[in-house]
Amino acid sequence: MARIVFLLQALSWITLALAFDIVGKVSWNDVCRNAKALGQAKASLDEGVYSGGITAEGRFTIPDVPEGTYLLSILSHDFTFDQLRVDVTNASLPEVRPYIPGTPFDPPSSVLLPYPIVLSAKEKADYFVPPESFNLAAMFSNPMMLLMVGVAVMMLGMPYLIKNMDPEALEEFKEQQAKMGSIQNAFQSGDIKAGFSSIMAAAEEQSATSSTGPQRGGAKTRGSKRTKR
Amino acid sequence: MRFLTTAASLISFCLGTWAIHESDVGVVDWHKHLVGVPLYGSTATAPAFHFIGNRSLIFSGTSSNVIAALDPINGSVVWRYVFDAEDPVTGYYKIEDTITTISGPGGATLRSFDALTGNLLLEKRLHKPELGALSTPISLGKHVTSLPNSKDLYILTNGCTVTSIDGTTGEVKWTWTSPDQGSLIIHSKLILTHDALFAVGIAKSTASYTIHVTSILPSTGEIINSANIPSKVEDPFTEFTVLTRSDVSKPVVLWLEKGTIGHVALTPTLKEKAKPIIMGDVFRKFTDIGLIDYGQVLLLKEDGSNVVLKLDADGRLANSKWEFEASLISAPDVAHTFGGGPDSQGNPYVARVRWSPNLDIAVDAESTSDLAIDSRILVTTSTGAVQLWDRGGLKWSREEALATVTLAEFVEIPERVASASPVTASEGFVARVARQILEARDFPQYAVNFVRRFITGSYASPTSSAAPTTSTSAQGISRDTFGFRQIIVAATGLGLGRVYGIDSSNGDIVWSRTLGLGWAAAVGGHIQPLKLYVTKTVSDGGDPEVVLVAQRRADNGLLDTVLFHLNALTGSDATRRSKDDAPLEGHDVIQGPLVESFLLNAEQKIVIFFDEYLQAYLYPDTSEAKEIFAAVAPTLSFPLRTSVEDRKRVIGHQIAVSKGHHKSLAHPTWSLALPPGEEVQMLLPRVRGPVASIGKVLGNRTTLYKYLNPRLFTVLTAAPARSMCGIYVLDSMKGTVVYHAEVKANLRGCNVKTSFVENWLVYHYFEGEVAGGTAGGAKGYRMVSVEFYEGQKVDEKTKSSEISSFSNDTINYHYYEKSFVFPYDISALATTSTKFGITTKDLIVATKNHRVQSFSRHMLNPRRPNRKTTAEEQEEYLVTYDPLLPNDPKRVISHHYDVAKAVKVVSAPALLESTSLVLAFGLDMFVTRVAPSNTFDVLSENFNKAQLVFTISGLLLAILITRPMVKRKSLREKWYTS
Repeated sequence: MARIVFLLQALSWITLALAFDIVGKVSWNDVCRNAKALGQAKASLDEGVYSGGITAEGRFTIPDVPEGTYLLSILSHDFTFDQLRVDVTNASLPEVRPYIPGTPFDPPSSVLLPYPIVLSAKEKADYFVPPESFNLAAMFSNPMMLLMVGVAVMMLGMPYLIKNMDPEALEEFKEQQAKMGSIQNAFQSGDIKAGFSSIMAAAEEQSATSSTGPQRGGAKTRGSKRTKR
Repeated sequence: MRFLTTAASLISFCLGTWAIHESDVGVVDWHKHLVGVPLYGSTATAPAFHFIGNRSLIFSGTSSNVIAALDPINGSVVWRYVFDAEDPVTGYYKIEDTITTISGPGGATLRSFDALTGNLLLEKRLHKPELGALSTPISLGKHVTSLPNSKDLYILTNGCTVTSIDGTTGEVKWTWTSPDQGSLIIHSKLILTHDALFAVGIAKSTASYTIHVTSILPSTGEIINSANIPSKVEDPFTEFTVLTRSDVSKPVVLWLEKGTIGHVALTPTLKEKAKPIIMGDVFRKFTDIGLIDYGQVLLLKEDGSNVVLKLDADGRLANSKWEFEASLISAPDVAHTFGGGPDSQGNPYVARVRWSPNLDIAVDAESTSDLAIDSRILVTTSTGAVQLWDRGGLKWSREEALATVTLAEFVEIPERVASASPVTASEGFVARVARQILEARDFPQYAVNFVRRFITGSYASPTSSAAPTTSTSAQGISRDTFGFRQIIVAATGLGLGRVYGIDSSNGDIVWSRTLGLGWAAAVGGHIQPLKLYVTKTVSDGGDPEVVLVAQRRADNGLLDTVLFHLNALTGSDATRRSKDDAPLEGHDVIQGPLVESFLLNAEQKIVIFFDEYLQAYLYPDTSEAKEIFAAVAPTLSFPLRTSVEDRKRVIGHQIAVSKGHHKSLAHPTWSLALPPGEEVQMLLPRVRGPVASIGKVLGNRTTLYKYLNPRLFTVLTAAPARSMCGIYVLDSMKGTVVYHAEVKANLRGCNVKTSFVENWLVYHYFEGEVAGGTAGGAKGYRMVSVEFYEGQKVDEKTKSSEISSFSNDTINYHYYEKSFVFPYDISALATTSTKFGITTKDLIVATKNHRVQSFSRHMLNPRRPNRKTTAEEQEEYLVTYDPLLPNDPKRVISHHYDVAKAVKVVSAPALLESTSLVLAFGLDMFVTRVAPSNTFDVLSENFNKAQLVFTISGLLLAILITRPMVKRKSLREKWYTS
């Protein structure tokens, strides 16, 4: 009987040599303040055959992990944690490295993290979108809405503006409009050549006007510029 | 139709993802926070009241592998801890203000929880799970004890190992394993006194058992003595017990030997002599009512009456003055059960519950009281309900049977029929006028309602609650505007034999029925539901009906296939054979096991069953049904799994319709032999549903036609020797392998989850091999998305949904596949389904971190290019391939609900094309609505009637202002223009 016990003890020593308990800690931060906020959570290696629950102090122990390379993740309902690459070798301590999901597992990162593992919550999941509500100010701050309002104001105000213009400026404005109209007509009817020629003519005239500008009265120049706008 | 699809996808892309608002919580969804049916078989897991400080809580271990604390005031869950399936809870022990649990094979893991909050204080692996000894019952050979005001815990595991650990740090102080390693003596209990720790167990001897006690020094683990108590116990579970009391220094071991009680007091040296107690009666068994630590146990007499045996404060044994008379004498059909519990001062009480077998059966009762009259009794019924009775009245009830639901289906419900007054043809003029005047009295109300609705714009919206505001129980259940209100018919497993009708709008149980055992009621038995079919829908007229196919295993070993036919609205028997207040009786369809059953969706919905000899049975078995069956039978084919000469096969069958009185027989037509050592795990048919578009128009104006062969099904296989898992897609008529993939098995074996809808197959697995080929050598969970298309390239059309399976074109297809890194382990997956199938089908998964989350189909598109997208691809909304699937918390449709252990996700269409109802069940039950392409068929939620009215009135105002101006101007023009 004693021999069996001895054998068993020997066996347990062997298993001790092959397996390793990975210990770590979730450190509380502003994202996740305590175990109550975290809820039932566990640290799990790969698909969860080796795992350990996270205690009220944030500690976890993943018992009896055999040699190998593992992906450590924290399973929590509300919080996101970094994933880590853990290499359990027959060296005294496992090697812990950061791992970015979706990247190749090999070659491992050159950054070695301290052991025992310390992790903290990256973010708390925000499941909700704020409801969109009707807001008059927001409605009018919309650029499209502003444009529309501007156009409406112009439409209403234009006749009065034209009415109040001095006759000379009005004449000039009408001429300008007629020109624009002819250019548009030309393009619409497909007569590109005529369209271009009318643009050229308009440009020529403009340059002529600007060159003759200084000889004219300052007030009038300003007025004509205003109408061009 | 195609336009609509494009529009839907466009809208979904433009408006981003559909997500839930905080104000919608509890309105569009509901969640039942369940704990499972209490395990009352052993006092280690049975529900019990415990006082923590000055608060009383109910603790229980449950069949869903949960340790739960319930509030006795309202029955709410104070906390629960969900254990993994491979880590079964064997018992919980209240130690001071903590709950300590032992779980896993042989009691491998010890956990300690704060009893009030459920915070995990300590988790300690006591031995490797592989070294755990299996025991029946599972709680045998595990125990935890400690002294008051001491941190040290003494734990018995595996029936042979005693460990002492520090209760706060988990540090092991000493370990003792019995010399025989549990092969001869199984220890069942630890008794701790100030002087010694006694490990009490039973040793096998010839024809009977002998009680064995080992006394250990608690501080060092040193053995003081070890001795057999001269005793002969035939049944160690009912004829042996140990009574202790905190104020008594010597615990007493009791046993029954040929009807007499033997007892011995335990001292560290084990020198006390065993003595019999002569009480003049013959006793049959001890019943542990949870009071043995208070020195009380129930003793059954030969005549059926029970007495309480008590350990006095001075260490003497006495039986109670009163006794519970046998039920046989008082009323023959009244059964009874006992329960016990201490009050806040630690005074023990015993309660008896009696019931009539015609009612729901109570099998567990606990009592705690200050006075005998002020008692609370917790009852667990055999149908899985947990009820608290306070002073004779029902205080609350929890339907924990819903935690065991294995089958559930959505059933649409009819609209409310306006009660029209009967119009007779021979109605005279006066009568008609009178009737119309009478009917017109509702008009003012209608007009007022109309105006109010017009002004306020309070219409039904897809985010409003579908539950009726007023109780309509008198008129029965009726659907809401958008068909979000449906009945969920759910059948429970675990042999509880219950069927529930649940209102999908608010989770209320509309009806529930107990499944009758038929002839087996006389011998006992249980019913395991297998399939649930909706045989009559609203569109067929009348009330919808469902058929539940179940297997009945009688206690005498006979197995039958039974069918229950229910009205889905009321739960009443559609065949009108059983009354509404009696158990629902089924029809015995097959005298033997069911091999497979199908719902034939022809002119009439017919359920087809196949027995072991592959004979076809029909339900309903009418001549009309037979004719329909005979007409379509040649086009039917189905696969079955068999094994021939150690090799597993999938064999396709067709049905030969019999002309005579014999039953039609199915015969094999093809067989697919799997490689040696590969086993079939599951056969899954393709999810049926309407297909809105048969092709996909690409950015370059070519079309990919979907491969929509209706006979496809998925086979999941496992090859443990090679540690590989197989996924096959087969044609059930010919056995053609349309798709085959092999993935690596993990340490838990093959756990591939798959779903196949239209031409889209997805499967989920764990890629454990570092740099395992796909998804850029990442390690983790994978979701593989495969899409099948007709022909070998674009614009090839084979009409795969219609062609004969014998056409060569059935194998003329190609497919695209892509593998994605998936963020979680999942327990179930399904795709959304909508009324016409126009809306994009999103993937709904139940993850292992207790979420239900949707994943966009666009992200799972296997045609996502590995480079920058071209303009044409952008037109199709293709995004550059990224191995990592976006994990957006806004897509967690279960938001902060903890939906644990979901085993299945079911989706059903609502009346709104854009919206799909989703049900997840397992331990919890969760229902919500999802709109994968947003609610494109109703006004958007940010549509605002006020805004519209504002704009229109603004325009109106502008017209009113400008109108006179324009008039004046035109008048002036008329005057001044020449």
